[in-house]
Amino acid sequence: MIEVARLTKRYGRKLAVDDVGFTVRPGRVTGFLGPNGAGKSTTLRLLLGLDHPDGGTALIGGRRYRDLRHPLRTVGALLDGAGPVPERRGVDHLAWIAQSNRIPRRRVREVLDLVGLTGAAGQRVKGYSLGMGQRLGIAAALLGDPEVLVLDEPVNGLDPDGIRWVRDLLREYAASGRTVLLSSHLMAETAGTADDAIVIAGGRIVAHGSLDDISAGHESLESAFFALTGDRRGLGGRGGRGGRGEW
Amino acid sequence: MTAAPTGVPDTGGIRLTDLVRAELTKIRTLPATWIVLALTLAADTLLALPAATDVVRIAGSGGRTAAITQFGTVLLAPVYAFVAVPVFAAGGEYRGGQVRVSLLAAPDRNRFFLAKLLAVLGILTVAAILVVLPGHLTRRALGGADVAEATGGLSAEVTAYLLLGLVAYGFAMLVRTVVTPLAVLVVLPVLVSPLLRGLSPEVTRLLPHEATLSFLGMPEGPHLALDRPVGLSVVVAWAVTFVGAAWAVTLRRDG
Repeated sequence: MIEVARLTKRYGRKLAVDDVGFTVRPGRVTGFLGPNGAGKSTTLRLLLGLDHPDGGTALIGGRRYRDLRHPLRTVGALLDGAGPVPERRGVDHLAWIAQSNRIPRRRVREVLDLVGLTGAAGQRVKGYSLGMGQRLGIAAALLGDPEVLVLDEPVNGLDPDGIRWVRDLLREYAASGRTVLLSSHLMAETAGTADDAIVIAGGRIVAHGSLDDISAGHESLESAFFALTGDRRGLGGRGGRGGRGEW
Repeated sequence: MTAAPTGVPDTGGIRLTDLVRAELTKIRTLPATWIVLALTLAADTLLALPAATDVVRIAGSGGRTAAITQFGTVLLAPVYAFVAVPVFAAGGEYRGGQVRVSLLAAPDRNRFFLAKLLAVLGILTVAAILVVLPGHLTRRALGGADVAEATGGLSAEVTAYLLLGLVAYGFAMLVRTVVTPLAVLVVLPVLVSPLLRGLSPEVTRLLPHEATLSFLGMPEGPHLALDRPVGLSVVVAWAVTFVGAAWAVTLRRDG
């Protein structure tokens, strides 16, 4: 369970996240939607203890991320701009992560197999394609077999087979009673994967509920999204992809 | 991509040693670490030959030549390859956004910094002995230094490598890059010190490089000399200052 309440973050005079609150329930995939610069990445950084909020709380299983006893066994995260040193081999990147949280070495081979990178495990990351890098990031998130998954644009760069695999993985994860928060700007992908959605625009939550509730009265999730975010797009602060208000 | 994830047994809480092991793996699995250590070893050993035999002399002032042992900066030059090891360990965190992965794995910034520092200390100590020892053995074999003298020289040189490595490590953590600390640490003795020593030898001899040379007993002239214990104290102060500042900034900036 993820519980965010009255979360606020300023960068200088810019209010990046403004009184944000939502709950992500276990057993469901929750999409976290918003235009670039809406506050998605900032919210995720605050949730994962990578930044300090100016106000409010972000709890995972009732605790702040920084207070988790086993962070990587509790939360698996894939974040934009959080990756390996390019000169390191993929397997070594996963090895140090596993060591840091007392995750057995055999788990490295398991997740490499899981994401289809066994054959490229010994390659240096700088030789990976965008999709392979994304798979390595997903492998790192899965290392601790965590209770909670927080994934920021996990299908970026993946081929159709990889996209379907991610979708199935997230569905399976949620079906086993675990919590999945999926940040994305791909409406069709989110509509095909998520049970619930949180829509953020201009640093504020503009909708939160089941996909059916959010889409009610609109042709699709996409049209609902445009209707909800139309006059707030790009008003937020330091978005992960530059906050340019672009799609 | 085929199977669903499998369970991971809980093997107990995360210990500081787990984080140190992870940091050691990070350093060990960077190709730059091994390249730099090989360069340092080669340079240190090659410089030991002329230092022990006096077969190579360097042109000095007034057209006279002097033994290479008179040029402490030349003999200490390999350390500026060696310090790239801690620089890559620290500055590398900020390449590819690895620091975010590190902080997800070790959210407690104090433990993260301490683990990294301990790993760097361990690597620097072992690596310094390995790269310095062949040069000392060469000098002892060819130059005839007695055992006590050679041992004292070895431990002093290892200490110097370790302390300058810590200065470089702290610097790299502060500036979050690998280029700036290496450039500054090389430019200081090569360009800044020669310009500054005429203007203010009192200040120049307190720079890390010059204080290290004094500690090693090979200052670049009497006007730049400090007593060896004073030289050691000055380099220790530089190391503590840089590491302490890096620790404080890591807590504040990355926190």
